[in-house]
Amino acid sequence: MSQKKAYIPKDSAGKLAGAFLHNPLTMLLGIFLLLLGYISLVITPREEDPQMEVSGGAIVVAMPGATPREIENVIIKPLERRIREIKGVEHIYGIASENVGIVNVQYYIGEDREDSNLKLYDKVMQNMDLLPKTAMQPLVKPFDIDIDVPIISVAFYTKDKNALSQTDLFKKVRDIQYELNRIENVAKTEIAGAKKEQYNIMVDLNKLTGYHLSLGQIAKAIESLAVNVPNVKGRTKDGQLVVFGIKNAIENINDVKNVIVAQYMGSAIYLKDVATVEKGYDFQNKSKAQITFRGENGEFISTEDQLTLTIAKLKGTNAVFIAEDVTDRLEEMRDSLDAAGIGYIITRNYGERANEAVNELVFHLMISIVIIAVLLIFVLGWKESMIVTFTVPAILAITLFIAYMTGQTINRITLFAFLLSLGLLVDAAIIVIENIHRHLHDHDAVDKELDDIMIEATDEIGAPTNIATIAIIMTMVPMAFVGQMMGQFMKPIPANVPVALFASLVIAYIFTPFLARKLLKKPHFHHHHHHFQKDKKHTDDRSGEQQ
Amino acid sequence: MKKFESFIAAILADKKKKFLVLLLTLIAFGASIMMLPTKTVLARMLPGKSANTYSVYVDTPVGSSINETEKVTQCIVEHLKKESEITDMEIYLGMGSPLDYAGLVKGSAFKRNEHEAEIVVNLTDKHGRSEASFEMIQRIRPAIKQECEAIKEGTVIKLIEQPAGPPTLASVVIELYSNDTEGLRSLSVKLAKILKETDGLVDVDVMQDETYKTYQLIPNQEKIIKSGLSLTQVNQILYLAFEGMDVAIKNSANSPDQIPLFVTLSKQTKSIHQMDKTALRNKLSSLKLMNQKGMMVPITEVVTIQEAPSNPMIMTKNLRQFVNIIAETDMVSQVYPLLDAREQIKEQLSNEYDIESTKLFNYRLTDKKTGAVYDLVWDGEMKVTMDTFADLGAAFIAALILIFLLLVIYYKSFVLSGIVLLGSFLSIVGVIVGHWIVDQFTVHTFFLTATSLIGFIALMGISSRNSLLLIDFTKSLMLAKGMEKQRAIAIATATRAKPIFLTAAAIILASTLLAADPIFGGLGVALIFGTIAAVIVSLVFIPVLMDNSDLEKHFQFEEHPYLLLPIL
Repeated sequence: MSQKKAYIPKDSAGKLAGAFLHNPLTMLLGIFLLLLGYISLVITPREEDPQMEVSGGAIVVAMPGATPREIENVIIKPLERRIREIKGVEHIYGIASENVGIVNVQYYIGEDREDSNLKLYDKVMQNMDLLPKTAMQPLVKPFDIDIDVPIISVAFYTKDKNALSQTDLFKKVRDIQYELNRIENVAKTEIAGAKKEQYNIMVDLNKLTGYHLSLGQIAKAIESLAVNVPNVKGRTKDGQLVVFGIKNAIENINDVKNVIVAQYMGSAIYLKDVATVEKGYDFQNKSKAQITFRGENGEFISTEDQLTLTIAKLKGTNAVFIAEDVTDRLEEMRDSLDAAGIGYIITRNYGERANEAVNELVFHLMISIVIIAVLLIFVLGWKESMIVTFTVPAILAITLFIAYMTGQTINRITLFAFLLSLGLLVDAAIIVIENIHRHLHDHDAVDKELDDIMIEATDEIGAPTNIATIAIIMTMVPMAFVGQMMGQFMKPIPANVPVALFASLVIAYIFTPFLARKLLKKPHFHHHHHHFQKDKKHTDDRSGEQQ
Repeated sequence: MKKFESFIAAILADKKKKFLVLLLTLIAFGASIMMLPTKTVLARMLPGKSANTYSVYVDTPVGSSINETEKVTQCIVEHLKKESEITDMEIYLGMGSPLDYAGLVKGSAFKRNEHEAEIVVNLTDKHGRSEASFEMIQRIRPAIKQECEAIKEGTVIKLIEQPAGPPTLASVVIELYSNDTEGLRSLSVKLAKILKETDGLVDVDVMQDETYKTYQLIPNQEKIIKSGLSLTQVNQILYLAFEGMDVAIKNSANSPDQIPLFVTLSKQTKSIHQMDKTALRNKLSSLKLMNQKGMMVPITEVVTIQEAPSNPMIMTKNLRQFVNIIAETDMVSQVYPLLDAREQIKEQLSNEYDIESTKLFNYRLTDKKTGAVYDLVWDGEMKVTMDTFADLGAAFIAALILIFLLLVIYYKSFVLSGIVLLGSFLSIVGVIVGHWIVDQFTVHTFFLTATSLIGFIALMGISSRNSLLLIDFTKSLMLAKGMEKQRAIAIATATRAKPIFLTAAAIILASTLLAADPIFGGLGVALIFGTIAAVIVSLVFIPVLMDNSDLEKHFQFEEHPYLLLPIL
């Protein structure tokens, strides 16, 4: 041990330490890693809950006039049997109700979504001939959590009911929807509770009897007038084109009112004679959306009709950015909406929630790091504590970057994985720094080169540290095989903790000796002991015996 | 350090003390394990999570009109308006609210009937609010249900929390399979009643259509043909008269959609006087059809009216007809009410059905009279919990085996590897007791959750490292110094105590913030108390085990042990 010859490392730990100890790039690498971590933290998409690969879909087949039993027999059963042939399907649910049959297909969690959708569509298309004659074209609707669960929902309402009708509100919201669709990474947008414009022709049954008319006649009369025909081209003798078109007989409400439905005793009966005609909304669609919120006086206003615009994001994109873009865009429009008598309330904002959750956890992570640093100052000394504390962001930076590269997002679970591994991450660095410290204060340290001490101290604890870390990694790996939704939900833990642990080894072997060489010095052996030396002394006597 | 060294040496020297350590460990292990079946520590998959929003699902009986449903939602909204922490509410009648994770599995997207409604309730920010969303739900639920469910008989109101983890259809789900449709209907009602009577279960609902009275118009083929009409004509006019139809479309330059021309009877002339056959006949008699000769024929001439029950929808799962009976839990774990309900089912239904247990908690019921067979399967959160705990258990065993193999390669000794493994397994004492301690100090039940299990699995690695360091050091003392066994163990334990404490402190401090989180609290608590247990185990229990084993024999290899493992 006391030979002047340079120490030859046996373990990869020592080899790594040796390779980077004098390398001028080591410092750059450190700065680069920290920068990489920061960039990853900013650009990695943020979500509140981790992405879940849930595949499945619904097949909807309408068959007007059929009873549930009939639907079950001619639609559900044959479809179920066929879908049973697809590999990877976990559950098939059949719902047979009046006029319509729905088959819900649920794949095993983790089945590839695109593949599953394709297989489902393929199976239905292959078996179109099995469907009964009167059934309508089947509708295959794949589930898509990312596209189907909106990240933002906005409720629009009219401030003055008389000034703006529900149908006008719908038209305005349609324009807003179109505008928001322009925002990058916005996927599906939908409007719920829409009241669509329509001419309502409400026929009075008594008058119908009075004029001796049938409902069918009225329907026919309207149908035959409201036709759009393309322009007709005629030609002159010299070959010039003469274009003429037939104007649609119905242009406005009065045209509808004045439709002649029949001749009675020589005089024309107009539609307005037998029916009330108005330009209204689709009242036959019974569903409606309402809202109530606290007015200026803090009391709830009475429930009003509203329209909800929902916006979903594309998979793997940043919910925070999209939500911000949407709210900014709406804020810009606020004045013009005000002028039009439209108010809005953001009733859901997952982007904001995700950002809050992530920021809160990052803050917790910081606090934890500080707490550990303080603990280490007391036990190891402040320089040593600083070295160990530096390794934590470097390790997290590598882990975050790898998470970004593998297409993960920053979510609650990822950050919990970080918090969980935090207690384990510092261990490798602590063990290395402690051993360096011990070797520096060893009595034969005076005879040795500083570099050799660093490498040797690192190399010495290499094997047991590797074993211990591998043991911890091994406990995490089987967690990746937990199935079901829960397995998907906590996937970030087995995906990130082993990476972080492995990174902690490499960082500890590269940077701890490097920084220790820059910061720590050999103590002067003139009975001038470091304060730390005193309580170390006892240990040191025996540690020397370890070799 | 010296003190601790002599403390260990004293234990090792005295056989009685050694026995006492082993006995105490065994008692601690047994006692902590017993906390689970005795319900001192309660298990649940994931605890409730306070959110800034929750939903109310309203289901009036099938066949109710939108107006009836609206009366119920109005009642709920009026009730909720008294809550000071609510900022706004959105009511969606005849449709689901914008999809969220709960709605995704609870079938929100498929709601489009007049008897269905959802209310989204938004609250003030959870950080500035003293009452968690799930506490609020628990508080207001009884009043709302009592007041508003009474408006229309058969109405079910459900208050839906945002799930903390993966969403499930409901906390407790009974899937009842049978080919006997009628029997399924009656048995499901009985089961729903039992669930309703079970403590801790609320919002019980049978997911099947209620049957209601309908009228069927039976066309008389002969009369139709004789009057010069057609069946299609009859159908169409009836639909046109009462439902209405778009008969034409008008394109418009300044409208986002085509404008349909919608024809139907006016409201006054359409409405039927009251709900009976005569009223319906009277109304239909004034509706006339025109035949090919231009003559008017009243519709009642060609059809007869008959009363008939509605056709309820039929549900199948994996090619078997079934009915879902669902219930939510009222701030308790779903495990215990489920077991109670299971007990009650056996007790109350034994007279009518032969009941035998099948897989896990499931039952097979055979009707004593008809011989119809019903399979009762528990699903929902229970199934997810069972699956998750089973998977985590398997992951745990896999971790155990992997560590064991790793140690066997390292030490080349089964006994030493066994000691390390046993030591790390004992951290479960800390995990369970820790949950019990925290439960004493928290207002709500602190459940042992899936995240606690994750913490426990992670602990395995951490505590095996402690033992590893200890054994490693003892070995080097004995091999290099030729030290006598007991002294080597005592010295090794005392010197290794410091790094063990240090790393344990790091883990505990890093986990304190974790412990405050509602979902990952279990993980934090498991890590904190598990680490404490692990430290005690490795510093007292492991030395005793080491002393009891034939260390000299197990250390009998001369080569440098590190070289045996070309790691990295």
